[in-house]
Amino acid sequence: MKLKYAFKRTITNSSASARQETKPEVPDGMLKKCNACKGAVFVDEVKKNNYICPHCGNYFRIHARRRIEMIADEGTFEEWDSVMPISNPLSYKGYPDKVKKLQEKTGLDEAIVTGRAKIGGVSAVLGVCDSRFLMASMGENVGEKIVRAVEKATEERLPVVLFACSGGARMQEGIVSLMQMAKTSAALKRHSDAGLLYISVLTNPTTGGVTASFAMLGDIILAEPGALIGFAGPRVIEQTIRQKLPKGFQKSEFLLEHGFIDQIVERKDMKETLAQLLKMHCENAADNRDEKAEQANKESYSPAKKSAWEHVLLARSKERPTGKDYIPWLFDHFLELHGDRLFGDDSALIGGIAYFDGKPVTVIIQEKGNGTKENIAYNFGMVSPEGYRKSLRLMKQAEKFGRPVICLVDTPGAFCGLEAEERGQGEAIARNLFELSGLKVPILSIVIGEGGSGGALALAVGDEVWMMENSIYSILSPEGFATILWKDSTKAKEAAEVMKLTASDLKDLGMIEQIIPEKEPLTRENMMETMEVLEKRVRGFLDTYCAYDLEKLLNKRYNRFRNL
Amino acid sequence: MIRKLLIANRGEIAVRIIRACREMGIEAVAVYSEADKDSLHTQLADEAVCIGPGASAKSYLNMESIISAAIISGADAIHPGFGFLSENARFAQICEQCNLIFVGPPSQVIQNLGNKQIARNTMEAAGVPVIPGTTEAILDVQTGAREADRIGYPVIIKAALGGGGKGMRTAFSPEEFELAFLTAQKESQIAFGDGTMYIEHFVEHPRHIEFQILADSQGNVVHLGERDCSIQRNHQKMIEESPSMAVSEELRNQMGMAAVKAAKAAHYVNAGTIEFLLEKTGKFYFMEMNTRIQVEHPVTEWVTGLDLVKEQLKIASGQPLSFSQKDIQIQGHAIECRINAENPWKNFRPSPGTITDLHLPGGQGIRVDTGIYSGYQIPPYYDSMLAKLIVHGNNREEAIAKMKSALGEVIIQGVDTNVDYQFEIMNDPDYQKGIFDIGFLESHQIGGVKVNEA
Repeated sequence: MKLKYAFKRTITNSSASARQETKPEVPDGMLKKCNACKGAVFVDEVKKNNYICPHCGNYFRIHARRRIEMIADEGTFEEWDSVMPISNPLSYKGYPDKVKKLQEKTGLDEAIVTGRAKIGGVSAVLGVCDSRFLMASMGENVGEKIVRAVEKATEERLPVVLFACSGGARMQEGIVSLMQMAKTSAALKRHSDAGLLYISVLTNPTTGGVTASFAMLGDIILAEPGALIGFAGPRVIEQTIRQKLPKGFQKSEFLLEHGFIDQIVERKDMKETLAQLLKMHCENAADNRDEKAEQANKESYSPAKKSAWEHVLLARSKERPTGKDYIPWLFDHFLELHGDRLFGDDSALIGGIAYFDGKPVTVIIQEKGNGTKENIAYNFGMVSPEGYRKSLRLMKQAEKFGRPVICLVDTPGAFCGLEAEERGQGEAIARNLFELSGLKVPILSIVIGEGGSGGALALAVGDEVWMMENSIYSILSPEGFATILWKDSTKAKEAAEVMKLTASDLKDLGMIEQIIPEKEPLTRENMMETMEVLEKRVRGFLDTYCAYDLEKLLNKRYNRFRNL
Repeated sequence: MIRKLLIANRGEIAVRIIRACREMGIEAVAVYSEADKDSLHTQLADEAVCIGPGASAKSYLNMESIISAAIISGADAIHPGFGFLSENARFAQICEQCNLIFVGPPSQVIQNLGNKQIARNTMEAAGVPVIPGTTEAILDVQTGAREADRIGYPVIIKAALGGGGKGMRTAFSPEEFELAFLTAQKESQIAFGDGTMYIEHFVEHPRHIEFQILADSQGNVVHLGERDCSIQRNHQKMIEESPSMAVSEELRNQMGMAAVKAAKAAHYVNAGTIEFLLEKTGKFYFMEMNTRIQVEHPVTEWVTGLDLVKEQLKIASGQPLSFSQKDIQIQGHAIECRINAENPWKNFRPSPGTITDLHLPGGQGIRVDTGIYSGYQIPPYYDSMLAKLIVHGNNREEAIAKMKSALGEVIIQGVDTNVDYQFEIMNDPDYQKGIFDIGFLESHQIGGVKVNEA
């Protein structure tokens, strides 16, 4: 049907055409254009929305002072080194004037603001780059301010938080600018060797010499979503290799996937996340454990006798809770940390920091996922080399900050595939066994489902190893065992009986210290009672092992395996 | 008087507003999404401005685009229609800041009425009955039981952090209270990790009765009687009528007075609706106030003889009401059926597509408000309402007979509709007797379909 034949024009009343005195118009400064989606946006809405485009989600850059307001507790920021003499090492023409102009325009002396602040009540040294100042490039003054701030933090035993945003080195300062990379890195090394925390936050853009120095050296590296992070800029790369770069290349999400950052944190959650992390690393963390720490009462409970194969089936059951189901029952404020800092982030291994009884612990779990979709996403709990390397990285971090490590083991075995071998699956597992044997903090490993071979052992070189009643732990899957010894995988059932893979068999063999009883086979629905028992026992473990001196702890762990 | 009006909406309501503009000699500017290029409102308006892609968030909800369209086209006022930005206080505020007349109440009024707690407090202070309930968190069963006695049974116990029916229990007598409270609290503790509870009077089998009001900027407020909107599915109204079988002349005066009080207390200006729950006992409680023209406004228009959209435009232009409460007479009976592109026999599944053939009914006392035409493609982005069929008779019986006749004439081909389902409702003996409450579609087999409880 053609609507154009419809009656259209309105006959306007002559009396109504008198114009209003105040002509409708958009007041100045009400609307601005988003540089990402090119759409019009209300300025006050953008401000209210943490400087994020309400339409396309683009993160606008934030001035240093505004960022400090968003991160530091109100009125706690005390600025350091706010007046630095202008440096011009190459006597580069016009450079001092340019700096002076920028100083006037921005009210800043240089491209970074440093000082001391409280974040969520915890004192920290805070440094924030400001991109308005020559793209926050790192010249002598920027390097100097960072180093002074870090040195002071080391001296006062304070954590450091740096918000990076930079085009890299400052060309006008030439080789002196390059040296700032070494200088800042060296200061951070001393800070780290003193056992102190450094959190690096990467914002858009973090590139060049800043990426290749202080930005990438955090104990924990956070990033804002969608930030460009890289060493060489995308335009330079494109020109060099004469290829178009893929979408999302060098964005935060890309780096997360490649194992270089711990977490992408939205702007609205940044302060809370930083506060949480700082609290977790505070040397005198508040001991807010509640008074339910009664002795682990030995329940009088004798499990019904099941066949080994029944245990295998229960350990693999779809209803059985997986690692991430345990987290809310055992821990508070779990904060996941990603990546091995080398190649990737393995979804089959989840690691992070959480509170147990108000004390920070490092949690490492092997995750199979729940349901086919998740199974695939978590690769059925089959850990890749990058997973073991992430685990090791987080355990070394736990060692640095004196946190006990709790591992939940649940894997059919280490991932078996081309890529895993290319990246050294054997080496990754071996390195874990090697390092864990001497890790200077207590380690507790709990087999919660399947403890499949070396893939499980890499997380089970603990001071104690426990098993859930219906979990299994073995050299190989019963199917694999039957294939190798009897050349018949259908004899898995018989294999299970001879392999001694149930919790009670392994307890008899002296391979494990404790069995956590399951009144009925554990499901996601009936976890409560069992988790209460487990929580009590973990508490008992930590009370005992945290009290040991280092020598006793390490000797005990050494002998535990020495005697097997 | 408004000279040029931008209609920030689409579909039949945009067409409805354009028609009012034409009659009043106001130039009409339509805005449309890329998906609505060929829509009736786009074609009928004097001017039309494209404001973005099909998805509502990028077009009809995009305030920046709509404000820009208003400024560029030289409009001096914006009518938001219903849905979309109609009850968005921020949008009204931006219009105010840009010297554009927003056809609706001031932004502050929208803001206050949109906040459940503020609205409730305002109404309570003005003496408008609200559902009795606890004002403070209840943590233990003894305090809860005392409160429940004060509030009056039956009561509903709700988790402070609740949602999705979890941590919610009803108790019909003091004997049932303890168990109900403890169960709800336990559920809440498991689901939300919190045992903070609230208790409210449980309004059993209520009717949804709403009062239309008009308020001018001089402070005059009149009510235009009620609409009974109890026939609804999952809180979506399906049939509305005026007057309600459950409202006597005396009750109408009582509720109408309360509605006027409510509007005055809120400093309301323009057309608005006060929603009440009406209990079988005749007690009624304020639910919320809608600060916009409503879908079902034609039933009120028909029984009062007023044109509500024209009244809105006059009020927005600063004119006083030309009538007072005593001039308002409810005449006859009006019923509206919403015709949706959905299949009631397939769990009301939406049915987008192209309307291949169309015949709509007419005749004395029959009105169709719609934006569809033969060959119209229903875009998948928006709601499924195709048309509103409104009838007016001397009494309810006649109105039902007219509605049945009119529904029988409707031919919409190419998509599934709920026309037959509406016809079945008209044939239901309980509906015909006027015996129904908001649970009607869940308790009755209509054409073999029983609606599941939400």
